[in-house]
Amino acid sequence: MGQQYLKVNSIEELLVNLDKPGAMVLCGGTDLVVKMRSGLLSPELLLDISDLPELREIRNIGSKIEIGAAVTQSELLASEIVRERLPLLITVLSQLGCVQIRNRGTLGGNLVNASPAADSAVPLLLFDAEVILTGSQGERRLAVKDFFRGPGKTALSNGEFLRAVLIPLPNPKLSPFFHKIGRRKALTIAIASLGALLHVEGDLIHEVRLAAGSVAPTPIRLRRVEERANGKRVTASLIEEARKLARQSVSPIDDIRASADYRRTVIADLVAHLFEGVLHV
Amino acid sequence: MRIQFIVNGRQVERETNAETRLLDLLREDLHLTGTKEGCGEGECGACTVLLDGRAVNSCLVLAPQVDGKEVLTIEGLAPLSKSHSRHSTGRAKGDELHPIQQAFVEKGAVQCGFCTPGFIMSTYALLEENPSPNDEEILSALEGNLCRCTGYTKIIEAVRYAAKLMREER
Ligand code: FES
Ligand code: FES
Repeated sequence: MGQQYLKVNSIEELLVNLDKPGAMVLCGGTDLVVKMRSGLLSPELLLDISDLPELREIRNIGSKIEIGAAVTQSELLASEIVRERLPLLITVLSQLGCVQIRNRGTLGGNLVNASPAADSAVPLLLFDAEVILTGSQGERRLAVKDFFRGPGKTALSNGEFLRAVLIPLPNPKLSPFFHKIGRRKALTIAIASLGALLHVEGDLIHEVRLAAGSVAPTPIRLRRVEERANGKRVTASLIEEARKLARQSVSPIDDIRASADYRRTVIADLVAHLFEGVLHV
Repeated sequence: MRIQFIVNGRQVERETNAETRLLDLLREDLHLTGTKEGCGEGECGACTVLLDGRAVNSCLVLAPQVDGKEVLTIEGLAPLSKSHSRHSTGRAKGDELHPIQQAFVEKGAVQCGFCTPGFIMSTYALLEENPSPNDEEILSALEGNLCRCTGYTKIIEAVRYAAKLMREER
């Protein structure tokens, strides 16, 4: 291996070094260190951003919340504004990993890692969040959905890093929903997960947003189901249609955790279950 | 590169590199072998230590990352006990136990013992933050620790008992 390590003290220092061959950003290490040891990644220069003050802030800017790349999941869980305005994020994060991982892991790290099972991307897709990417040429903003390019692939260019995640505060009437199917509650990568933001009155769906993890090359929004359900009343036939559309919207794979067909069924069932819940309140 | 950090209240300075994990630094350099390596990839919690007061997997932290920080391992726990002398009655120096350790012993929460240092460090982090956790809070704090022997029931009992012992100490 023979990699070098540098704890960067400013964004400028990070950018200058990011251009060097084999340079890679290190933050909590919950993913990178594992990949380095298994030989999947062999960076030559590790740039540690975990103590960079500019990246450690949660800021409320008007109608948005900006979360710095080095903010840990535990810090998000403890943040008052996140608890108040982004309850879905709290629900999801508290089910991800375990204390030890949440104390080190970051939202930004999960995104850059671009695992199809990156459950933390599910709420971000539902919020229509953006990532802020910084390079020596300046800054650009990109929707989280466009940031993923495939398993392990992102829209980050050479010399660029993910500086922050920008989340528009959702309508407080939207209630959070998150369900993850996996073999062990903590840690384990999900077999499939479904997140939703739902505003209903009686059986009338004012607005629903749905996103799924582990059932496509990247976490995805289930737009066709949303379009079918928005503004409609929940009925048995709507539920059946939603189930069918959900099945068609995903493109999972077979792997050691589950078969593609099982994953499709799980997502369809989770979607149906969500709408059935509306009828039973 | 040279790093300086505090381990179990003691300032240390070491030469290290980015291929060394905090786990290796503790075990091999500092001979603090109470911290165990199970999976080496963040799944089992056997390597749990406190870094600036928070439970982390030392197999996922690179040694240079602890420069300027404070680490607490299982070896540093007993001296933190407020009634240290009460638990140490009849024990040789170095064999004193922290109330959490005492509770694990008394409640039979240790079988092979490989997972124990990790569980005890996670418990310590929990009780420092929340002196009276309910069962749900205990389970969630220990989610990242695996035990192949005990079936967990005795461990949960030990944590409840440790919380009681520590509250009495306060
Ligand atoms: S050895 Fe670190 S979590 Fe298993
Ligand atoms: S006591 Fe043996 S693994 Fe827990």
